[in-house]
Amino acid sequence: MTVVGGGGASATLGAPVGEAEVLFARRVWPLLQEKCTACHGEDEAKRKGGLDLGTWKKVQQGGESGLPGVVPGKAESSPLYLSVTRAHEDWEAMPPKENDRLEAEQIGWIKAWIEGGAPWLEETQRNLVRSASGGSEQEGETVVTSGGLSGDWTYRRYKSEDLWAYRPVASPIRGAPGNKHPIDAFLEAPPSGASSLSAPPADKRTLLRRITFDLTGLPPTPEEMKDFFNDPRPDPEAWNAVIERLLASPRYGEHWARHWLDVVRYADTSGFANDFERGNAWRYRDWVVRAFNADMPYDRFVRLQIAGDEISPGDPEAIIATGFLRMGPWELTGMEVAKIARQRFLDDVTNSVGETFLGHSLQCARCHDHKFDPVPTRDYYSIQAVFATTQIADRRTPFAASENVNGFEERQYLLIRQQAYESELLRLNDQSIAAGRAWLKENHFDPAPFDRALKAVTAGKGSGNKGSYEQARVKMLKEGVPEKEIPPKLAGFSPQDFGGERVARKGLERLQWELERYEPFALAVYDGLTPQMTGVFRPLRIPEDRMKSGEREQTAILAGGDPFAPTVPVRPGGLTAIETFNPEVKTDFPQSETGRRRALAEWIAHPKNPLTSRVIANRIWAWHFGQPLAGNPNNFGSTGKKPTHPELLDWLAGTMVAAGWSMKTMHRLILSSQAYQRAAPGSDLDDSGEAEALMAAYRAFRPRRLTAEELRDAMLQATGELNPEIGGIPNRPEINPEAAFQPRQVMGTFAAAWVPNPLPSQRHRRSLYGLRVRGLADPFLEVFNEPAPDFSCERREVSTITPQVFALFNGLPIHQRALALAARSIRESGEDSSVLRRVFDLALGRPPTPVELESCLAHWHSLIPELPRVSEGSPMPTEIIREAVEENTGEKFTFREILPSNQDFVPDLQADQVDARTRALADICLILFNSNEFAYLY
Amino acid sequence: MSRMFSCPRPDTGISVTRRESLFGIGASLGSIALSALLSEESSAMAPGRPSGHLGPHLTPRAKNCIFLTMEGGPSHIDTFDPKPELEKLHLKEFIRQGKEKSAMESGKRYYVRSPFKFHQWGQSGAWMSEPWVHLREMADELCFYRGCQVDSVNHPTAMYQLNTGNRFGGDPGLGAWINYGLGTVNRDLPGFVVLPEVSYPQGGAANWSNGYLPASYQGTPLRPKGSPILDLAPPKDFTRDRQRRNLDLLASLNARHQAAHPWHGELEARLQSYELAFRMQSTVPGLLDLGGESPRTLSSYGVGLEPTDSFGRKCLLARRLVERGVRFVQLYAGSWDSHDYIERAHGNLIRQVDRPIAALLADLKQRGMLEDTLVVWCGEFGRTPDNGVRGGTAYGRDHNPKAMTIWFAGGGVRAGHTLGATDETGTVAVEEVRHIRDLHITLLKLLGLDDNRLTFYHGGRFKQLSQFGGQAIEALIA
Repeated sequence: MTVVGGGGASATLGAPVGEAEVLFARRVWPLLQEKCTACHGEDEAKRKGGLDLGTWKKVQQGGESGLPGVVPGKAESSPLYLSVTRAHEDWEAMPPKENDRLEAEQIGWIKAWIEGGAPWLEETQRNLVRSASGGSEQEGETVVTSGGLSGDWTYRRYKSEDLWAYRPVASPIRGAPGNKHPIDAFLEAPPSGASSLSAPPADKRTLLRRITFDLTGLPPTPEEMKDFFNDPRPDPEAWNAVIERLLASPRYGEHWARHWLDVVRYADTSGFANDFERGNAWRYRDWVVRAFNADMPYDRFVRLQIAGDEISPGDPEAIIATGFLRMGPWELTGMEVAKIARQRFLDDVTNSVGETFLGHSLQCARCHDHKFDPVPTRDYYSIQAVFATTQIADRRTPFAASENVNGFEERQYLLIRQQAYESELLRLNDQSIAAGRAWLKENHFDPAPFDRALKAVTAGKGSGNKGSYEQARVKMLKEGVPEKEIPPKLAGFSPQDFGGERVARKGLERLQWELERYEPFALAVYDGLTPQMTGVFRPLRIPEDRMKSGEREQTAILAGGDPFAPTVPVRPGGLTAIETFNPEVKTDFPQSETGRRRALAEWIAHPKNPLTSRVIANRIWAWHFGQPLAGNPNNFGSTGKKPTHPELLDWLAGTMVAAGWSMKTMHRLILSSQAYQRAAPGSDLDDSGEAEALMAAYRAFRPRRLTAEELRDAMLQATGELNPEIGGIPNRPEINPEAAFQPRQVMGTFAAAWVPNPLPSQRHRRSLYGLRVRGLADPFLEVFNEPAPDFSCERREVSTITPQVFALFNGLPIHQRALALAARSIRESGEDSSVLRRVFDLALGRPPTPVELESCLAHWHSLIPELPRVSEGSPMPTEIIREAVEENTGEKFTFREILPSNQDFVPDLQADQVDARTRALADICLILFNSNEFAYLY
Repeated sequence: MSRMFSCPRPDTGISVTRRESLFGIGASLGSIALSALLSEESSAMAPGRPSGHLGPHLTPRAKNCIFLTMEGGPSHIDTFDPKPELEKLHLKEFIRQGKEKSAMESGKRYYVRSPFKFHQWGQSGAWMSEPWVHLREMADELCFYRGCQVDSVNHPTAMYQLNTGNRFGGDPGLGAWINYGLGTVNRDLPGFVVLPEVSYPQGGAANWSNGYLPASYQGTPLRPKGSPILDLAPPKDFTRDRQRRNLDLLASLNARHQAAHPWHGELEARLQSYELAFRMQSTVPGLLDLGGESPRTLSSYGVGLEPTDSFGRKCLLARRLVERGVRFVQLYAGSWDSHDYIERAHGNLIRQVDRPIAALLADLKQRGMLEDTLVVWCGEFGRTPDNGVRGGTAYGRDHNPKAMTIWFAGGGVRAGHTLGATDETGTVAVEEVRHIRDLHITLLKLLGLDDNRLTFYHGGRFKQLSQFGGQAIEALIA
């Protein structure tokens, strides 16, 4: 066996293999495969610049430049090397994509290989060299997996530090030195170069505001503030009492459910073209709230969401939990190929499980072995095979006693709309019948066949058959009446009628989904064969013959992710790299229709699965501190940020498992640490870089802006309007009226307007409960960075943009809150300065300073005499006229949309109902709601 | 400053500075108060020069782009791609082969001919259907491309792909990428402005999202009815003086708070955003006021005339925006989703946009702006040559992701050429066939940006408009 050297020299493998040969086999060759040969390989059609890096001969031939690609011994003269440095004038930077750029280390390999004579080894030789020696630390580790599509991928080496997340979690053994809280002990060693100074403990007001928002998403009430200040117990005890009080509050589950729903992309509609409502998604949302409040062990929380129906088929809660698998946007329109839509579901659920529980976005492995992580495409399809028998349906699931079934009477408003659509279709049908008769007469055709057909299709159905005209036409066609003698489809339609018919017909279709809200069904899945479908226009149910009828899917690796290009069949399974590092996790995955998800759930929730516990520990930490330990909670792979405090992360993960996966135990641990109770960088610091370093090292607390929901909820709490009711069908607060009436196209029609609930108490629920429509975000929440439910949100963004000012300074809902706070403060106190004290107390949780009091009083008093008289507010419209372009005619048409519930609309407190003193005070309230102190949490 | 709260990412050489965070839709209109804020970083930039971030990477052929989005999927067969073969096949049964059958194919389907006659126009002999009576005067300015294909057969996913490169939404829009790459010329206006129809397109505002790019790159829709920007104006009994005084009190309250946290730059940024917003309340309505345009200009665009008023206003506004340095203006017209009655529906739609578009091109040319402005006319897909015939006469066409016509005009394109071709029935592109990602790469290239370098690190990888990279369609470039 010989090794063909670059310079034409040869050597046998029996002889000592040189470093350059090893480098080629282990590093350079795989690198060429990964980064270069897609465009510089055998495939002539895809080849760029005429260069082929597949064989030594071709490399020597070079490309269009006519120069050899590699000059053995001389890296600086080798175009291959010069291109990858991306720094040479004559040679274009390679690989072209920023994503693929080589790291310095990789460039170094190429250089060293060329300098070492550029030896070239054929496949068997490469494999021999690769498996011959164990390899040093620098060369990295191989990871045994189910295997890649190529040997080069299978045998590639990973940097040790990139594999941190796969290794077993170190057991939580650290003894606390002295009396130190273990978390503080882990955080003690300052990262090199950082200052060892720490901020002092935060003051009591700051602390109570911090922890109350943190655990409940709400500010402390003035009474809670007073109690905390007056608590005679020494510090840790008083603080612990606060922790316990807040953890026991149902507000806790609501707020922490919000975190989880961000990750899983919760919405009440299905997105895309139709954006149909998911009438019972709310039951999953409430299940998450209950799970947090009950401190459901996280491993059970995981299991039920993946396989609740398989684990406890008789338990409604377990069925509801599987709503998780349905969170992605999905639809099947009449235009799409069913198999492609099915594949979209499978890809979505595979990636979502990876991202949510394992901190691994798996979609990269859909088309190829993962470029950076030991996730072969085979594993991707093994996980997908788990779901090959998982079918979507809204399952009959009785309401549990723990569920909130209030407010179902709002259904009456939907029925009024339903009735209106029915009448419109009936009217159009009658009109078409008349027009059809006129057409027959005009064209001198015998009206008898039409009349007979019409009579036949309406027989026994009374006059309420809104489709009789079209049915009669079809009947005539079937009976062999020549087409030219049949009156035309949609006869007598004006552009107006085309639009009206479509709006009514599609409106009925859409109502079926909305009416689902009040029915005992759950957004869920079942096990069975894949049914044949052509389009989904109403909620899906479990078919009776679910195990007999349909396709028994055999999952296979799909070439390029294309469902029409299956290659090698695969069996259900998990990530094999995890099993290599943690053999205990290995689980038997059945091949039967049922039980696959249960196996995956066991595999993920296994106490020794190092991803699962680290991922949740990291999320909990990030939600408390505003910064994760491992920088990308959804990405624990090599491209995610490495943990800043790996030992702490392992300690947290291990402790959580040891504590029976209790979330609340973790909260107690974290909240009782000194790190959590430190002040933010203070007034003595004006260097933002220094402040950043302190916060990154947990030596000062990182302040944050309130989230969109917190801003809204905090205002409602300050005004006393917040309705504490838990769960139930989504509510509809008042949003910007123009956005509410903004016409929005959905497939074939226009979505209904956003109509707020009639009663203030219904509207003033926590923001968590607002109907989340994928196609229509509440503009207020949106501008304050509420994430769109398209992608999993691992962490809220914060941006500062002027639309926030328009929303928070000019918007209707804010002015309503400001007025309500003014009215409340006046109601609850006496003379002007005590009113202002109450305003400050309710809005900011503190009294005004003398200067503030004075300037606010002056502002208030100056406003009162100049305020204009307010006329009575206009009532909510009970119908709106919509203008649109009709797709059948290309002409403008208008239609009337009725808003039945607005007849019962009870407005919030209106400006004309209060005196000028209150209205002027509302400006002060508005200003406080806009202040930085209100918006930021320290 | 706001970086400390935004998603962490490896150093890409781009930081989210205060300047960016203020320039959302939050563009400052009148940058007096802003200048102080920017002074620390403005030294490197001469006034009026683009505050570029990444690019240009290449020699730009155009500085701005006006994107005429014909939502709903205009039919190439009835606009710019004549198919005489369909005359012969008219009402002959159409049978689709292959396993990729959708419900669209349920029932019998028939070939249908175009209801419109076609003629060639200009020196270049560009084909246009009869309803285009104004655009034909500009025929030699246009470069037609018939080779583009997309992946999705549904509107919102195809719209997302056209606008963001990603079928499933959530990614940054074209205009966001271009501003991210080139920066903004006019600090007083957002760099990405959208002029939607009264009813938003399928997929909604996600079509002009900033995606994972900083929020300042978001498209700013100027709504054609009601308030152009939501909540631009305060409630009606709030005088400007009352608002000013409220802002002053807010500033004094904030000052105390800020003194306790001098390191916290976000607080200052937030304060400034209130001042910008206050100014925008008067400057935005001024921008939208077409009163300063001559009656001749107005009528040439069809403003005040039906059926052109609505799109005429948008086209004129687009010129005004580009004149003021807005990089990317996206106009919507539709819906072109003519499943039935294509003669009536497409005929009407063409009449609504024909005169305004021709006027826009002529106006840009006359002002010497066309060479710096890339104009694109495009839908999310084309339409099928076949249809389930409705009542014998009411035929239309269904969605066709495999064939469409796109045209370009202005900066850097091969005006007077028709490139690519569809087969003889218009079913599928057969010449110069490219995926839409190549179209995106071409657009970026014309604007001086290299798709492979215009990247943003998000979710563990460098993301780019084309998603996976590709090749510019060199044939389109002059």
